[in-house]
Amino acid sequence: MGEAEAVTANPLILCIDDEALGLQIRKAVLEREGYRVLTALDGASGLNLFVDEPVEGVILDYFMPGMDGGQVAVEMRRQRPEVPILLLSAYVNLPAEVIRMVDFTVVKGEGPAELLVKVRRMLGGDEAGDGAEALGESA
Amino acid sequence: MNLREFNRILRQTLFLPILLLLILAGFITWEISRSTAELRALEHSDDVTEYALRLEKLIVDQETGLRGYQLTGDPSMLTPYKAAAPQITRQFSALHGLVAGNDTQQAHLANVQDRYRIWLGFAQGVLDRDPAVVNEPNLNQHGRELMNNLRGAVGEILETESQLRRVRAEMSLRIEHRELIAVLASSVVVGVFLGIFTTSRMRRVSRTYDATLDEVSRQAEEIYERRQWLQTTLESIGDAVIACDEDGKVEFMNAVAQQLTGWKPDEAMGRPLTEVFYIINEETREEAENPVEKVRRLDAVVGLANHTALIARDGKEYVIDDSAAPIRAEDGAMAGIVLVFRDVTDQRRTEAALIAGEKLAVAGRLAASIAHEIHNPLDSVANAHYLLQRESDPEKRAEYLRLAQQELNRTMQISRTLLSLYREPVAPIPVDLKELAEGVLLLLDRRLAQQDVHVERQFSEPNVVEGFPAELRQVFTNIFMNALEAAGKGGRIRIRMEPVAAQELRGAGTMVEVIDSGPGISEQAGQNLFQPFFTTKGENGTGLGLWVSNGIVQKHGGSIRISNSHDGDLRGACVRVYLPMRTMADASHRATAHVA
Repeated sequence: MGEAEAVTANPLILCIDDEALGLQIRKAVLEREGYRVLTALDGASGLNLFVDEPVEGVILDYFMPGMDGGQVAVEMRRQRPEVPILLLSAYVNLPAEVIRMVDFTVVKGEGPAELLVKVRRMLGGDEAGDGAEALGESA
Repeated sequence: MNLREFNRILRQTLFLPILLLLILAGFITWEISRSTAELRALEHSDDVTEYALRLEKLIVDQETGLRGYQLTGDPSMLTPYKAAAPQITRQFSALHGLVAGNDTQQAHLANVQDRYRIWLGFAQGVLDRDPAVVNEPNLNQHGRELMNNLRGAVGEILETESQLRRVRAEMSLRIEHRELIAVLASSVVVGVFLGIFTTSRMRRVSRTYDATLDEVSRQAEEIYERRQWLQTTLESIGDAVIACDEDGKVEFMNAVAQQLTGWKPDEAMGRPLTEVFYIINEETREEAENPVEKVRRLDAVVGLANHTALIARDGKEYVIDDSAAPIRAEDGAMAGIVLVFRDVTDQRRTEAALIAGEKLAVAGRLAASIAHEIHNPLDSVANAHYLLQRESDPEKRAEYLRLAQQELNRTMQISRTLLSLYREPVAPIPVDLKELAEGVLLLLDRRLAQQDVHVERQFSEPNVVEGFPAELRQVFTNIFMNALEAAGKGGRIRIRMEPVAAQELRGAGTMVEVIDSGPGISEQAGQNLFQPFFTTKGENGTGLGLWVSNGIVQKHGGSIRISNSHDGDLRGACVRVYLPMRTMADASHRATAHVA
């Protein structure tokens, strides 16, 4: 009933990172911007939340023990391909096929402002933002 | 032909002729003795004849005396008659003795004696008569007849003896003839035999002599050729070769040695080795031990110390790698020393560059992990900063500050670890291997986590050894990375660390054992693990890791052994690194290039 309103008002973001401290702070930043945030410390539990919860966007760390970001993304695309994924990584050289699969990438250390801009774009326009971003990325 | 055989021939050629000549002499002596008997028989005949003639003459003398007395009646005319009588008796007895062995002559002699007695009877009759009537024709006639009979009997003896003598003379002549032929024939036979024998022996000796001469000249040629071959071989060796006599005086040097030392062979000959082959320690610049002395002292093949530099005659300096070995005479005594060395200046430079490169490669491989390690907390700090700017609630601000501080501390720690990779003490310091291993594992933590590799630690105390921490860190980074890559996704690594007691050839220290759950090492790879540029990782490896690690561990006085594990659950590679508690290594012998 109120779910649809909640979705439009406060988008639900799933944040997956094995760094507990970093995850905690990132969650605070996102919540401060008004997003609702779910967190998971590894790929498997993140996928469970992704299936169970009406997640609208995913912020995914690449470098993780067990399943890495690439593997998690593949599984998410298989389950719900329409949900946008932002891949976050400290790695500068990510595998090309992983970059192709996700919608956005942010390198850790680019700062919260950059992250928030990309999150906004990811969630902001199903109509325009995605395509524009895709063009922007490729350009 | 050996000397014994030659002596035998010598004896043969001496004794055989002597023997043959003795036989010949014996034969001739026998022949002569035979002819002597014949000659004696001949002489006997002459004796008989002579005695018979003398007897006849004496009897004629008696008759002449008797006739004189008959004619003159003068008794003084009878003197010869009387004087001959005893002589005739002696002649008879002598003749008896001479013809004792001859019956015919004995008979003839008895006949003569009978007739003489008859005549003597007649003579006595004449003498007994009146001297006036002794000269009567009848009487004279009778006396003449008697005398003729007597002389006829003597004539028989003479005739017989003369025949005998003729036969004997013929016999003697025949024997002499035969003797001559026999002596001539045997001499010829002996001469020819000796000639043939001696010739054959001499020919044999001569043949052997020729063969020996040939053999000697062939051997001399062979020795010369072999010597030339050895000389050429030594000259052609790509390494420098110097040979010295037992007093350390230079006797030979090949072209490469001439080039490196700057000495011409004719100038260097006979000079002390230390003058021609002047070596110093590259780092301390002190004169290095004379290899001749070292070989003599150890009586074995010795390698030169590391970092030996040769100063050429023109002052040029070469880093050399060499060995010195005793030259042994057949009895095992040291007859000289041979040095083999080569210029490794370029090789050393290349090695140093490779080692430096590998160190950078190790650092490079760690860079990704490091970037991740640093970017993660930095990202958190940036986020905390962002929140702090917008937060007014003091409680929340304090919380953000605490989180930021925590992340900053982590960054600092990583930074310190990173720095220690390059900061190195000048002398070995105590290194806690456990701490060091944990530091390396911390840097590899991300990769381990990403590969989902579980590290099992079995560390027992104490693990402190002397060493250079950055170098040892490089070793363990290399070994852990290898184990991680071998173990693969979801694999396991077991790191065991335990103190080891002193053994015969090594001191007490620590053994670090790293076993992975990978596929292990193939036999072929096992033989090349420590060779530079050998890698099983294709494009992803430099092939220098274990080579450099081995160098570092050896410098520390330790060793690396790699085998396949037979440990129950882990069947991959098993790397065992032994490091002694006390190391002889010093900073000047740093195995890795120092990156300032």
